[in-house]
Amino acid sequence: MRVLVVEDEADLADAVARGLRREGYAVDVAYDGDEALDKAAVNAYDLVCLDLNLPGIDGIEVVRRIRADADAQPPRVLMLTARDRTVDRVIGLDEGADDYLVKPFDFDELKARVRALLRRDAGRSGALLQVGDIELDSARHEARRVGRPLALTPKEFALLHYFMSRAGQVLSQEDLLEHVWDENADPFTNTVRVTVMTLRRKLADAGKGQPIETVVGRGYRLREEP
Amino acid sequence: MNLPARLWDRLPEWTRSIRFRYTLLYSAVLFGLAAVVLAAVYVVLLMALQATPVSSSNRVWCPQLGGPCYNLITFREAERLVNAEILDKLRFYMIGALGVLFVSSLGVGWVVAGRVLAPIGRITAVARDIQATDLSRRIQLPGPEDELKQLADTFDAMLARLDAAFGAQRQFVADASHELRNPLAIIRTNADVALTDPDATPEDLRQAIAVVKRAGDRMSLLVGDLLALARRQQPTLEHEPVDLGAAVAEASDDFVVPAETRDIVLDRAIAPGVVVTGDREALKRVVANLLDNAVRLAPAGSRIRLATGSEDNRAWIAVADEGPGIAPDDQAHVFDRFWRADKARSRSDGGTGLGLAIVRQLVESHGGEVRLHSKVGVGSSFVVWLPITRPAGDLMRA
Repeated sequence: MRVLVVEDEADLADAVARGLRREGYAVDVAYDGDEALDKAAVNAYDLVCLDLNLPGIDGIEVVRRIRADADAQPPRVLMLTARDRTVDRVIGLDEGADDYLVKPFDFDELKARVRALLRRDAGRSGALLQVGDIELDSARHEARRVGRPLALTPKEFALLHYFMSRAGQVLSQEDLLEHVWDENADPFTNTVRVTVMTLRRKLADAGKGQPIETVVGRGYRLREEP
Repeated sequence: MNLPARLWDRLPEWTRSIRFRYTLLYSAVLFGLAAVVLAAVYVVLLMALQATPVSSSNRVWCPQLGGPCYNLITFREAERLVNAEILDKLRFYMIGALGVLFVSSLGVGWVVAGRVLAPIGRITAVARDIQATDLSRRIQLPGPEDELKQLADTFDAMLARLDAAFGAQRQFVADASHELRNPLAIIRTNADVALTDPDATPEDLRQAIAVVKRAGDRMSLLVGDLLALARRQQPTLEHEPVDLGAAVAEASDDFVVPAETRDIVLDRAIAPGVVVTGDREALKRVVANLLDNAVRLAPAGSRIRLATGSEDNRAWIAVADEGPGIAPDDQAHVFDRFWRADKARSRSDGGTGLGLAIVRQLVESHGGEVRLHSKVGVGSSFVVWLPITRPAGDLMRA
């Protein structure tokens, strides 16, 4: 899942990004409204953590434009705001933000809200994902196949998470690079292929058969039925 | 009516009202006046008419033996008798009239007092309601420009002032909490992220602590400035003669090194012998805040000029920089709390957004004013004007 953190306080933005990366999200950071809109135009984000009080283009305007410009599915927007008056939150929510957090916030709460917002896309209500004999608990950061725990790196976990939230769909290498890797990933390396390979090997070791199949010329697909 | 308090307590509620007392007073005065007038009329009549009550006369006339007998009186006696009868009747009716007057004066007094005092009841009811609900309401008593209308209007003016003061206070608290939340969020998030990272290296932790310290420093600056602003409620400022030149020189000494490190030349032209009345520390803070802004925001290699002097009966301090300047539209806002010309530079440059607000407040509390002259691309100059109460020589001798 790919997340954009928009926050003009660099010390806060970097800490949020670091914490979210550790959760396995691919995180980019923008320090003002213009940069946020530039990045949102280039990359397909699943979620934007947005400070309302931004220099240059205001946070509310950023929400409005991100939602207007998005082609198919606009990213979920989680507002971070230092204004605790109800009216500010109402404006933000009315303009298309999905949720808000008032600063200073508990980082665990931020993580929980991010998970909850990302779950909405998959149409699920819990932190637990299940496809075939694979289970994934995004809150606890655990994945199992046939009840056996999988020892995954954060990137492999994020990749599996993305596959599972789009089970049955064919995902190209570009899709995976867009949503699982952040902007620092070099698109010309074979990092996607390598990570898919290691993930497949770990899945195969834990159970019978290979749930992630290659669709020649198009990409990969996680089979919904084993 | 100064009755003992305990007696008042025993009386029923309604007797404690002004209306009751006014009625009693009105009635008593009216009754007393009427009684005096009637008594005077009575006494005058009594003296003017010689009256004797009917008494048996010793002269008896019996026209027929065995027939009825008549008392014989003179014509004068008869007149006196009639007079006595009239005075008797008069006394009876006077007392009756006084009784009726007393009762009706009570009723009239009660009604009149009620009418006169009705607006006060209205004022009280509205004031009580406003106190319980919101300060934005007003009494707005209708009617002619009389004493009670003036009272209500005075109340309204007071409410307006209170409302404005509370509004300003609320805005101040909202602004302050907003500004404090950002460094708090930095501290909390960095601590959370660093603490929950099982693989954090000592270098990571050191970095997190450095960030927390930076945010903490910013908060303490901010809290210091907020307190300086909030203290205006109490006039704690000293009133003593201050050698303006010496105070300015002292305050500016702290900025020589910071200016040098930013490759900025600090020119000082301080006129000696200018003495103003005020608080030395506050005046130093005014200079320090102006210089702090200039040194932080002026481009490297530029020049900052600091000068003081006096003109007519006013002393001035001027700080001019060759910074970016302030757009005409923004010039009205520079002294507002938390206002920043460039929102982007706001957080990282170490300013709290309160410096100029403090300057204005301190200068105004000295009876002076601060003016901004600025041209975009040329630079800004801030000029502080302070009144000189007495010539320097007098103060030296004093």
